[in-house]
Amino acid sequence: MMDWRWDFTFDVVLPRLWEAAGITVYATVVSFAFALVGGLILMLLKMSAFKPISFVASEVIEFIRGTPLLVQIFFLFFVLPQVGITLPPLTTGIMAIAIYNSALTAEVYRAGLQAVPRGQWEAAVALNLSPYRTFRKIIIPQSLPPIVPALGNYLIAIFKETPLLSFVAVGEIMHASKLIGSEYYRFNEAVTIAGIFFLVMSLVSAALVRAAENYVKRSILH
Amino acid sequence: MTRPKIRFERVTKRYGALTVLDGLDFEVAEGEVVTVIGPSGSGKTTVLRVLMTLEGIQDGVIWVSGEPLNMMHSKGGLVPASKAHIRKIRSRIGMVFQNFNLFPHMTALENCIEAPIQSLGLSKAEAVERAMELLTMVGLTDKRDQYPSQLSGGQQQRVAIARALAMRPETILFDEPTSALDPEMVGEVLSVIRELAAEHSYTILMVTHQMGFAREISDRVCFFDGGKIVEQGPPDDIFGNPQNPRLQQFLSKVLEAR
Ligand SMILES: Nc1ncnc2c1ncn2[C@@H]1O[C@H](COP(=O)(O)OP(=O)(O)OP(=O)(O)O)[C@@H](O)[C@H]1O
Ligand SMILES: [Mg+2]
Repeated sequence: MMDWRWDFTFDVVLPRLWEAAGITVYATVVSFAFALVGGLILMLLKMSAFKPISFVASEVIEFIRGTPLLVQIFFLFFVLPQVGITLPPLTTGIMAIAIYNSALTAEVYRAGLQAVPRGQWEAAVALNLSPYRTFRKIIIPQSLPPIVPALGNYLIAIFKETPLLSFVAVGEIMHASKLIGSEYYRFNEAVTIAGIFFLVMSLVSAALVRAAENYVKRSILH
Repeated sequence: MTRPKIRFERVTKRYGALTVLDGLDFEVAEGEVVTVIGPSGSGKTTVLRVLMTLEGIQDGVIWVSGEPLNMMHSKGGLVPASKAHIRKIRSRIGMVFQNFNLFPHMTALENCIEAPIQSLGLSKAEAVERAMELLTMVGLTDKRDQYPSQLSGGQQQRVAIARALAMRPETILFDEPTSALDPEMVGEVLSVIRELAAEHSYTILMVTHQMGFAREISDRVCFFDGGKIVEQGPPDDIFGNPQNPRLQQFLSKVLEAR
């Protein structure tokens, strides 16, 4: 039978993990938001008609995708200060996760756009729609249904990536449970609750993603 | 014949190493109904696509009502056209595609009012009124609120014709408008095109494999082979008394297949 103490759970573990959970959620939401915008920018650069820009953008995307996230977190954490940029660990961590996921969401956007048949672009030309209108009224509404669920999966993935920040001492939930463990020589309660937290958050975000998906389907595509 | 509505002047179109149109000279008069026939890969669709500016050309000039499309006047000469110039000239041309290309997230009516509101600057009420006239003309008033996926192929193609006409083009291009249809739906689409052709207020350029229909509605038939017009003339000559051996061969094959 597992050794479990409820008084310890309520007096020590839950209050400290509650605070740390806030940091986890914050890191997830902020890096996801930056990844949404960053991916869009990378995708636009990659699709640029100016070859050098599109070449550099796709190399950058490949490089980011080809390196483990933990290595990138360490890299930013140890290298940035040496070039004179000293940021709080949480900011550095959010940056690393956002950059890494930008390279992934860029692909999502690209795939979503390519899912729109060429005939739709051609019909827009034949009807003399402006490029802006073509994107806004024809292309985006048709690429959102595949894009939204794929982006949602990255939101869930980012949640599960935030424990990596414990390696650079960001006080998110994994780091907090390790600290509790080493302070009290008791790991069971903190680590179990951290696990339950991730499970619950995954279910909640999956439900959110599904709701967003249905909303898009209902309001844009019939 | 009045002045040419459309004129290709030594137009060359290449895809990589493949030359599809090789210095093509070609004219369509105002109000004329011209059909293009020819074997697969002979460049028929390409003629329509370069005219609709879906493809660029490598050499030559395309004229629309006496104004250059892919070029523009500048300091007494012609320079490559700006995007704005292309948009302006292109607005005189509409196109109906083999696969309809309706916008799947818009109803029949929305398909027909989107571009007029955005590109012609019509009010929504004006656009709806015009679109309803056109949907009436193609016999689909009762389908105005249906999405393309709820319509048969023939109905989708009729909506696509209404959508193209809603932009008030002077010239309409049809690329095998009935090729993607089940046989029982071909008639309803042809009768709409027949009506447009009879009106003679539109200039029509159509690629088709429907030889009987081409013979019936055309003022002139052009036989394309290898990116060139090999023979052209009134439909009764082309179909009744073909001169060029390749045209004779093509027609006997097509008629056999029926
Ligand atoms: N995007 C493209 N890239 C490369 N080659 C192309 C492209 N589009 C057309 N072609 C080639 O150009 C030639 C002419 O094509 P086009 O579509 O104009 O023929 P078509 O006369 O319309 O034939 P069909 O009766 O089969 O429709 C063909 O050899 C075709 O393979
Ligand atoms: Mg063709």
